Amino acid sequence: MGNSMRMIFVLGVITVVSGLALGGLNELTYEIAQNNILRFKKIPAVANIYEAASGKLDDAARTKVEEELLAEKLLVDLGGEEPVLFFVIKKDGAPFAVALEDFGAGFGGDLGVMAGFDLETGDLVGIGITTLSETPGLGTRVTEESFTMQFRGMSKDAVYMVKKDGGDIDAVTGATVSSRAVAEGLAKAKVFYEANADKIAEKIKEAIGH
Amino acid sequence: MQSLTKTFTKGLWAEIPLFRLMLGLCPALAVTTTAENGLGMGLAATFVLVCSNVLVSALRKVIPNEVRVACFIVIIATFVVCVEMLMKAFFFGLSESLGLFIPLIVVNCVILGRAEAFARKNGVIPSLADGLGMGLGFTIALVVLAAIREFFGAGTLTLIFGERVFIDQPFVFLQEAPGAFVALGLCLGAMNVIGKLGKQGR
Repeated sequence: MGNSMRMIFVLGVITVVSGLALGGLNELTYEIAQNNILRFKKIPAVANIYEAASGKLDDAARTKVEEELLAEKLLVDLGGEEPVLFFVIKKDGAPFAVALEDFGAGFGGDLGVMAGFDLETGDLVGIGITTLSETPGLGTRVTEESFTMQFRGMSKDAVYMVKKDGGDIDAVTGATVSSRAVAEGLAKAKVFYEANADKIAEKIKEAIGH
Repeated sequence: MQSLTKTFTKGLWAEIPLFRLMLGLCPALAVTTTAENGLGMGLAATFVLVCSNVLVSALRKVIPNEVRVACFIVIIATFVVCVEMLMKAFFFGLSESLGLFIPLIVVNCVILGRAEAFARKNGVIPSLADGLGMGLGFTIALVVLAAIREFFGAGTLTLIFGERVFIDQPFVFLQEAPGAFVALGLCLGAMNVIGKLGKQGR
């Protein structure tokens, strides 16, 4: 009896200490890591949408666009649990589209989709994939342009599901689950955008003018 | 002091994990497409190995024999998650390219193997030396394997030469999984030849 109590006690103490240590370290690094994801995942995804709308950019121009997107990101409190992050995409200096991120359930966890919506028409401008943990070489192919470019200018009336499920999206061959995750994230982003379109437009006006 | 040096250096040649003990093969073959990845993976594993060896050794009299493997795994997993969080915060690019293989260090046989075979029977200082030696040996092996695969498979060596391309039409085969086995086999062969030559010379 004494021995088994000791086993439980030692293993218990090690586990608790480990949990506390990791919790502490997470506190310290969480924000830096989130900042990295913003800088190296979300912003490039928005830049991809920008390119889908305005054509390819060279490296220098793209860096400039990315910096501008980062500087003009908007955190809007829409009454949800947390404020929502928006990116304003401009054409000829005037805001013409807004991008926001949502998630779908992929093969290896959440798959983040950045969706850009035209402020006037509500149509899709384009999409970019942010974070994913899909199978390398298979599910990760949803990040390739041959897949993402089909969303360029897609009508708001299109059915945001893969063709197998009766929608309008061409899935990547052999990666139906990942393609479905993109469709899911996109559909969620669209529902969210349409429910809040007026508020979002107002906030953009407040923040940037025009 | 003699034995401490020996404890340290055995990991670098006589018992170099990847080439002699054939431990830790899975991550080794998966991430060694570029020397940079190999180095990152090796250093991450070394960090975990050193920390877990020291802690396992320090706690060796407290941990009951029956639950020791569970305790070792918790200790190792803790350090692996630490590495993962630190990498996401400070080496984001590397954490992206190593991806899933960082969390998988938890099940790397080298680390549990050293905890079980060495750290639980020896003091803190020798365990530290053992962890450092084995970790560095693992890192060297990964970098060598990765450098060969990168140089001949992709024609570059970004770790040292940046963007420079050496071979216009590389053997792309070496970058793929079967090529990893071939490269590993060649390394093992070379190790054996060198070992034999060394013995004859003596």
